[in-house]
Amino acid sequence: MKPIFPKWMNALPTLLFFVVNGGVVCVIAGFWYYATPKFWEVGYMPTQPGSGFNHQIHAGKLGMDCRYCHTNVEDSWHANVPAVETCMNCHVENRLSTELSSATDDKVQFIRDAYNEGVGIEWRNIHVVPDYANFPHNAHVNAGVSCYSCHGQIQGMPVVAQAESLSMGWCLDCHRNPEENLVPKDKVTDLYWVENHWFNKHGEDGNLVPLSPEERAHNGIDPQALVDTLKRNPPEHCAACHY
Amino acid sequence: MSNLDQCPSSKGKEEIPTKAPEMGRLSGRAYWRSLDEYSGTPEFKEFVEREFPVDASVMSEPSRRSFVKIMGAGLALAGAATVPGCRRPDRKIIPYAKNQPEVVPGKPLYFTTAMPLPGGGCEGLLIETHTGRPTKVEGNPLHPGNQGKSSAMAQASILGLYDPERLKHPVYNNPARGKIVGTWDDFDMWAGEHFAQFDANNGLGLAFIIDKQSSPTRERMIAAVRNRFPRARFVFWNPAESRAAIDGSALAFGSAQDINYDFTGAQCVVSVGSCFTDETAGGVKNSRTFLSTRRVLDGGDPMSRLYAVEAKPTGIGSIADHRFRVAPSQMHNFTMALAYAVSGLTGTSAAGLSNATVEGISQHDIDEIAKDLVAHRGHAVVVPGDQIGAEAWAMCMAINNALGAMGSMVKTSAMSESLASNGAVDLAALTGAMNNGLIDTLVTIGCNPVYDAPASINFADAFAKVPNTITFDQGISETEHLSTWSLNGTHYLEQWGDVVDIDGTYSVIQPMIAPLYDPARSDIEFLSMLAGQSGMHGLDLVKQTWSGMGNSGDKAWDRTLHNGFVNANAGNSASVRSGAIFNAASAAGARPAPGQESMDVLFYTSNFNHGQLANNGWLQESPEFGTSVVWDNPIIVSPLTAKKLGLLPEHSWQDEYNPYTKQQMPQAQRVTITLDGHEMEAALWILPGMADNTVAIKLGYGREMVGKVGFKVGHNTYKIKPATGSLATRGAKIKKASGTYTIASTQNHWSMESRTSIVRAMDKYWWDKYADKNVEFKDEIYGRDYEDLNIAEKLGELSHSPPIISIYDNPQNESKRDPDPAKRTYDYQLNDEVPPRFAQGPQWGMSIDLNACMGCNACTIACQSENNIPIVGKNEVAKGREMTWIRMDRYFVGDDLNNPDEIFVQPVACVHCENAPCETVCPVNATVHGDEGTNDMAYNRCIGTRYCANNCPYKVRRFNFFDYAPVKFNGGLNPQYTSKDIAQEFEETIGQDRTFNQNFIPPRLRKKLDEISKMHMNPDVTVRSRGVMEKCTYCIQRIHQARQEVKIRGLWEDRDQVGPIPDGFFQVACQQACPSDAISFGDILDPNARVSKERESGRSYLLLGYLGTRPRTTYMMRVRNPNEAIRHREHDPLDHGGHGDDSHGGGHGDDHGGGHDDHSTESHGDQHTSTYIDRTKRFMDQGYSMSLKVLSGVHA
Repeated sequence: MKPIFPKWMNALPTLLFFVVNGGVVCVIAGFWYYATPKFWEVGYMPTQPGSGFNHQIHAGKLGMDCRYCHTNVEDSWHANVPAVETCMNCHVENRLSTELSSATDDKVQFIRDAYNEGVGIEWRNIHVVPDYANFPHNAHVNAGVSCYSCHGQIQGMPVVAQAESLSMGWCLDCHRNPEENLVPKDKVTDLYWVENHWFNKHGEDGNLVPLSPEERAHNGIDPQALVDTLKRNPPEHCAACHY
Repeated sequence: MSNLDQCPSSKGKEEIPTKAPEMGRLSGRAYWRSLDEYSGTPEFKEFVEREFPVDASVMSEPSRRSFVKIMGAGLALAGAATVPGCRRPDRKIIPYAKNQPEVVPGKPLYFTTAMPLPGGGCEGLLIETHTGRPTKVEGNPLHPGNQGKSSAMAQASILGLYDPERLKHPVYNNPARGKIVGTWDDFDMWAGEHFAQFDANNGLGLAFIIDKQSSPTRERMIAAVRNRFPRARFVFWNPAESRAAIDGSALAFGSAQDINYDFTGAQCVVSVGSCFTDETAGGVKNSRTFLSTRRVLDGGDPMSRLYAVEAKPTGIGSIADHRFRVAPSQMHNFTMALAYAVSGLTGTSAAGLSNATVEGISQHDIDEIAKDLVAHRGHAVVVPGDQIGAEAWAMCMAINNALGAMGSMVKTSAMSESLASNGAVDLAALTGAMNNGLIDTLVTIGCNPVYDAPASINFADAFAKVPNTITFDQGISETEHLSTWSLNGTHYLEQWGDVVDIDGTYSVIQPMIAPLYDPARSDIEFLSMLAGQSGMHGLDLVKQTWSGMGNSGDKAWDRTLHNGFVNANAGNSASVRSGAIFNAASAAGARPAPGQESMDVLFYTSNFNHGQLANNGWLQESPEFGTSVVWDNPIIVSPLTAKKLGLLPEHSWQDEYNPYTKQQMPQAQRVTITLDGHEMEAALWILPGMADNTVAIKLGYGREMVGKVGFKVGHNTYKIKPATGSLATRGAKIKKASGTYTIASTQNHWSMESRTSIVRAMDKYWWDKYADKNVEFKDEIYGRDYEDLNIAEKLGELSHSPPIISIYDNPQNESKRDPDPAKRTYDYQLNDEVPPRFAQGPQWGMSIDLNACMGCNACTIACQSENNIPIVGKNEVAKGREMTWIRMDRYFVGDDLNNPDEIFVQPVACVHCENAPCETVCPVNATVHGDEGTNDMAYNRCIGTRYCANNCPYKVRRFNFFDYAPVKFNGGLNPQYTSKDIAQEFEETIGQDRTFNQNFIPPRLRKKLDEISKMHMNPDVTVRSRGVMEKCTYCIQRIHQARQEVKIRGLWEDRDQVGPIPDGFFQVACQQACPSDAISFGDILDPNARVSKERESGRSYLLLGYLGTRPRTTYMMRVRNPNEAIRHREHDPLDHGGHGDDSHGGGHGDDHGGGHDDHSTESHGDQHTSTYIDRTKRFMDQGYSMSLKVLSGVHA
């Protein structure tokens, strides 16, 4: 009698077992990796209006302090984007260098146009915390959280891109271990120092080597002392951010 | 929602029950909220057993089609939520072009201004603005009247600014072409030519109707217009003005005067039909000064005594020590009798005055009141109300004069001529002239006479005969709709202006924002244009007035704007002409008592004064005092009157009762009311505590030309208002009409499942005796013995429940107030253990003083404004879906349905239990505890199971059944209509020629936000969406801001430690608004904080504390200060039914329940029976009694 099922069907249960389980594992692994802010958000780099704003030149090469433009970051929940008038402090005419070509000068024409027309420039928002989460810049900056911790090495970005995931787990990592992320208060906006001398050091081959909090203490400032000045640990309950 | 909030039966007509139910009894008295609860109808019982009323969980129009629609929307939203995951939404940051030095995004700025009140007076306000956008109204802390407090009306005015249905541009009604959109330039051209023709004849044929406000600049502009047109007619019109106060003060002082009370130090106050703390001028100040005399913390603290003689229950009646139900006509007799008695005692002359009998108060009581007043001479005052006659009003002033209150507690300032004028008489005369064709051009400013003129003068017909009519107003109105020109005016938050308060304080109104619908003009700019001074800016006009008052200099101007006012003149006292008053009174004679065929009528306004603010949803949805009715104005009678007149509803259900298919709506009987030959149909509400044979009629409803919110809400009761302008009259007849009418009332909503001891009270005698005892045990609220409880707790279940110690090791139990002594170590720093959770840092708590709360709803609306709480509309409220976080519970006390002994109001919001029952049942941990003792909601985690609300014994959680918040929801829908019908009707009648928002679709399907109406939202608080549970957060956004402020300041100053948040550094929204300062909030671990002191007072008790929830909000029981000559003091509240410590069998006070000896003149319960379990018995059956209490909620 001819068997109803061919012989290779004997392998089917085993095959199915691996295919189904493998599929499930793939789906889970896929979600695990892809369906996260870390995958979707990090690296978001929209094109800014006009010729954009080059943080590398302004904050990096020219050494302008973050707070020259983001004036309210220590006072308010919002780290404000400056009014066009702030740009015009320098760019009202080519004051910086006679060597700058007229072509370079044209790049800031959109600033002057906006100023003369009296309309704000529609910058693209990059770092977005959802509406149901409240992030106060003033509380963090004054507590000694460097810009670097959330925004990355802005001073080296010609076009700003999102450096961190800004997910809730990422927030809580820091809130649970503040000593790993606090910097001396006068160095909050000194991103190069923070990157190269606080969180990392230059290894012998010139690469950056991460420093643990204990190692940082050798810089003369104890990271734990920074935490102690806060008196209370960063909050971890829901309503610290969600209300 | 009960099917039948007010009606005693649900099946057929039944008699009113004669005895209150056993449930809800405390200390022998019955506490009940509605006639339903009183009679214990099956529907009410079912209602309290359900967390959400039946309809709350069914779809509005359950059909396959709507289901598919909702699902479709859901899928579309799901798509919208996931698809852009691939392409991130492009969000913009648009900074200013030019730096605004004072504007810091994220930090609000505060500016002073003032809100003019209709009929004169103002509230001095401080407006919070976010980047130029006003979002919240607070009282101006410097203003002498407000002192940081504000009324519900002021709180809600922010919504009026962002009303998307205001007039947006001038409209010209072209006789040939109909209505066309115009501009102010068009009007200027037209008006320039048109008004020039009146220059020749000095304004003959020109008439103005202007609303009454006490603005000096406005007066100046009106004088300028008069100067240009000397023969023009002027009518100053306030449809709900109090003739009693104007005519009465004219009689009392010789000229009309504004009265400014100061109750500081008052010892004896008699209110004659006056709710002097309501939203009239001076109401906020009266609340503050009067309630300050009733705040007792310790035994023996002085406390004033308040007698309220009133027809309709008001907030003043609810806190009164003696409340007498007296019809308006009998108040006249009462003042006569009181003046007679006082003059006899003081020896002052009351020539010609004879005594009068009063229905409702015995002669003995009147004599005792007079004795009490005279005994407190210099600290006693009589406050007349609006619904009494002018003679009675003046007699009250004569009594005040005899009591020496004039000049100290009662100050007067002369009323301006326009405020004092009799608008009703002038309007009737003008109507005659209009009918005779004598008026060519009629200008109405800020008023709406087509809607609110008394029907008898038939103003609308006369209005149609005037060739040129110009209406200047903020919103759509009946008058504006019929006018030749409709001109858009500015909101008070958009304009320069000024206003004088009743105490003479001159306040400047400064704009918070440029007019939203620019160009628009303010009233003074419009008047100055009519006066021929074209192009004058409001600022210049106000500054001229300000300079004219002797001020000068930029610095002084800046100071005026900073403070919001110029210092008040001291206020004086006009002399009282007692002789003339008593002559007039004796000439008027005593008035007969009202009867069934000739009922007394009182007209009143509440929340939105006389109808102008009808499009304000917050005010529409704030429950009226007493009835708790929202979105409607049924006429109100007492239960006995309703029964005698046969007005009990025919049936209570819209259809045959089937909770799963039919909507349950409380039904009110339709009636016909006849007054002076005018007849109108209305709905009837039966309210305990009303005076018999009296009908109370609320004005300001039934607008037919108004935005979507106020469209066709209630009935227009101006149709029967007498042409004399008086707020009280007589001769009404009520007949039953066929059918019922759906009413939405919140009075039975969110019942605490008939648990007891929710509100507590005690006579001052016992308070003084017991207050200080056992206070030293205050810290050990939980699990302590009977002797350790403070006096207020002894009144409740904690006194006979066993110690509440969880058998589980609940981590939340670890606090310094833990019942387990091992865990109570506050000196945790001595050992290295983890500190107890609630033992450090600020631990927030709130204390609400029931002695000071009068149910004015200012807190509810302040909360609504601060926390972006949506309104839901009449239909939804009737289903029990209202969203307000603070609900105002109102309880009647006593066995007499018609004449309750007492009325209690109690604001209840989330009490932030330390052992919160909601937290343990949330499957997704959306509601959890914060480190500072707050019970928090993480909205984004909530999946809407509503388990938490089911498990909440306080019933304070609110669920977003629909996307209420993002849309300006039309709440005015009559449930008889579907939203589609009313949308159609609205568009046909009003919307056709205007640019309204056409997106009139059910809110759940509406995707696009209305840009204007969302501008009032507080940017610091999440706007909740559909399917999310929400509740009071203790204004956690303010807590965070305060904490960060303190912390950052400390960090900057490099202190070693960041200090605590000082007490009073910030206020929560309800606390900040509360005019009577009944709410305190702060850190309960700070012994010097006001909230700690109040918590430690003997008056503090935990609401439902015996459940072991450990609420952070405590209530302070009411202390009554009765005159023992009028009613005997209650039985010793701690003497349990007279059993003492004897171990009587049973010992349950129910044996004595209902015992109600009437050997006093009043029916006040003088026999204070008790329902407490005998204490010796308690220890034997504590388990049994506990289980009974917990399971059934009824006293064991």
